[in-house]
Amino acid sequence: MSRPAPTDRRATRGDEPLLSVRDLRTVFYTDKETIHAVDGISFDIYPGETVGLVGESGSGKSVTARSILGLVDEPGAIENGEIRFKNTELVKEGWDDRRGEIAIIFQDPSNALNPVYTIGNQIREALNIHQGLTGAAARERAIELLEAVGIPDAPRRVDEYPHQFSGGMAQRAVIAISLACDPDLLVCDEPTTALDVTIQAQILDLLTDLQQKEDLAILFITHDMGVIEETADRVNVIYAGEIVESAPTELLFSDPEHPYTTALLESIPGRTPPDEQLPTIEGEVPTPNGPSEACRFAPRCPLAVDECREKVPDTVSVDDRVEHSAACIFAGEEYGNRGEEL
Amino acid sequence: MSDAMSRRERVVGLTSNLDTTLSAWFAVGVVLFLLQAGAVGTFFTGLIADFVGILPTADASGSLLASVTELFESLQRQSRSVPTLLSRDVVPNGGYWNGEEWVGTFLGLSPAVSWAIRVGLVYLYSLTWVAWAVFGYRYYRREIRVADWTPRDDMIDRFLSHKWGLFGAAIVFFFVVMAVFAPTLGPTTVEQNMRNSYAFEISYWNDQTQTVEQILVGEANLNSQSRGDLSRVMPMTYDEYGRFHPFGTMPNGRDLFTFIAAGSRISLVIGLLSVGVSALLAVSLALVAAYYKGRVDLGTVLISDGVMAMPQLLLLILLTTVLSESWVGNVYSGGFVLALIFAFTGWTYMWRSIRGPALQVSERAWIDAARSFGQRPRTIMRKHMLPYIIGYVLVYGSMTLGGAIIAISGLSFLGLGIAPPTPEWGRAINLGQDYVDTGSWHISLIPGALITLVVTGFNALGDGIRDAVDPQSDSESAAAGRGGGA
Repeated sequence: MSRPAPTDRRATRGDEPLLSVRDLRTVFYTDKETIHAVDGISFDIYPGETVGLVGESGSGKSVTARSILGLVDEPGAIENGEIRFKNTELVKEGWDDRRGEIAIIFQDPSNALNPVYTIGNQIREALNIHQGLTGAAARERAIELLEAVGIPDAPRRVDEYPHQFSGGMAQRAVIAISLACDPDLLVCDEPTTALDVTIQAQILDLLTDLQQKEDLAILFITHDMGVIEETADRVNVIYAGEIVESAPTELLFSDPEHPYTTALLESIPGRTPPDEQLPTIEGEVPTPNGPSEACRFAPRCPLAVDECREKVPDTVSVDDRVEHSAACIFAGEEYGNRGEEL
Repeated sequence: MSDAMSRRERVVGLTSNLDTTLSAWFAVGVVLFLLQAGAVGTFFTGLIADFVGILPTADASGSLLASVTELFESLQRQSRSVPTLLSRDVVPNGGYWNGEEWVGTFLGLSPAVSWAIRVGLVYLYSLTWVAWAVFGYRYYRREIRVADWTPRDDMIDRFLSHKWGLFGAAIVFFFVVMAVFAPTLGPTTVEQNMRNSYAFEISYWNDQTQTVEQILVGEANLNSQSRGDLSRVMPMTYDEYGRFHPFGTMPNGRDLFTFIAAGSRISLVIGLLSVGVSALLAVSLALVAAYYKGRVDLGTVLISDGVMAMPQLLLLILLTTVLSESWVGNVYSGGFVLALIFAFTGWTYMWRSIRGPALQVSERAWIDAARSFGQRPRTIMRKHMLPYIIGYVLVYGSMTLGGAIIAISGLSFLGLGIAPPTPEWGRAINLGQDYVDTGSWHISLIPGALITLVVTGFNALGDGIRDAVDPQSDSESAAAGRGGGA
């Protein structure tokens, strides 16, 4: 997949961000404790751009997605922060006026489609709400959408039920439903995780095609660094509810600043010589059950020093020109220097 | 895929054939309906006239309600004059012996045979409707529907292979037909035999004088009482006046079968009304609680706990007594109030049972997908959540209906609930309880056995539906959701 260098891309787009998230905090109140699932994250998505959000299970990726779509249920709530989408502050003004302009694609297509209605019925439901189409016109448009997402024999398959679709085809149908809303931003919450690898590549290609045709911005959420490398223009690495590093994709892969990013990259198969064991990150993501008081990655970090365990690291800009920043006290220093400090 | 293609071609090729079959099917439906159209019209116009007439201001002459009542009563008279196949007039059984032959009965047959023919016709007619519906469904599934299979098909197939559930469905079918055709099925009518027995005169063959004589029904009843060993009219026998009693007579000489048939209707109406209202409450609250979760859910839990804490039986006794003088207390001989009390105290159990499934389905991604593209909450609940809990509603509804029938009978047995002389099964048991150990044992035994059978039938139907809806539920060990009496 070829694309212009991220620096160029950002530079040519002098326009306003499509989606701007500032200091978003989503918390869940349980009987025992308050869980800060998303703890003050900020990022922007520009029109036509693909932004990756990458992190382990439990790092707050999906909660971020649900917060952007206004789908946080009780006992959770957006406690603080701004989500500005096309000059509407969604947290304050509510999502109702912007419904459909942000669409979401879920991980498991078999769960995202209601098994008791035909695929056509479910596409028509969205068409009816957003384009006012009913009856034969809606059916025709539904067939067009199914063809647009590459489902063969669409006029027949439009009347089939979800169980008659394979995983890849079902995910295409889910994408067709979200296209029926005519969105500007597509939030893809691990859209390929439940699919096997060949299908995964097809779906990624489809998303890239659609992005160019419909000028969609995409927020791509995944734990798979390989997928991120292929799709995203920019990557935000999330750890325990905080964004620890944000950079253009190529730069993040070639020159990571946060030790967590480094560790993630090392654990991609293929980057390690064949005869060596794949490195893993020991331990697991802590549950952020209180305000952060230290670097949350410190317990697992190979570079951690006392300072890491005593104060929250600032997010420092590594390179202003490409908006590369990292939340680590060592950010911006050469690895060699760190070695000496250790 | 190729299979589906050839299937579609076959369907297209058979279009003309399909049309004839379909129109034949519709024609059969219309003919079946026309056979009874008069009765249906009579029922509905009568229902509306009764309902309007019951409203508080309907008594005042010249008021709008009074004229509306009048209108529907005249409509009822008109629809009564429409001939129907299954009426008492077509197959009469109320004749007399004139010394040589039966007069006034169907084709001069004996009253017992005439009555049996009428009952047979009623059930034949009902079974024809069932066959018509089954054929229509099968035909739709095989030839008309494009999809080879839908998730509902499995449920129906599972139910059809569930013997206990089918047994329940059969019992429920017999009960419902009895309730629907109650006026036709009885060997005599409630009006003639019970309400106004001194306003009707019948002819009979007097053995001693060897002549046909006249007697008032009320007086005839006095001489056909079942009270113990000496004076009794047992099931499937004639009394002294040539009247056939399929279930014998009651202690006051009235016909037990007519009483039970009419009572089945009131049991079914109250049961359906109470289950319908409580299902409506339970489903709405479960959907709202599951959709909004959190505080809304907590609120409904508190409300239902509060309602559950009320003593249902005391409330029933209190309200039926307090409301017995008011207009609403007289609607349907007090049955309307009973149904409402059952509904407003009973919805909590159904709500508890369907809240879990509702919460489960509310977590599915398609709910979030619909929310994300801006579907209205009410539509999401109805379209994307309701189909998943409707099966549970059927299960608990069926079992609660059995419970309601027991409860109504129990109250009538205690002398509460349905006001006499409106027939109710529980009152028949009560009337017969003094004669249980005598020769007139049939008075309590028959309605008692019927209640047991019908309630078992409803529970079996519920079991069958549950196993069909949720194949993982184990019918052997599951003890959930039995209907309970008040």
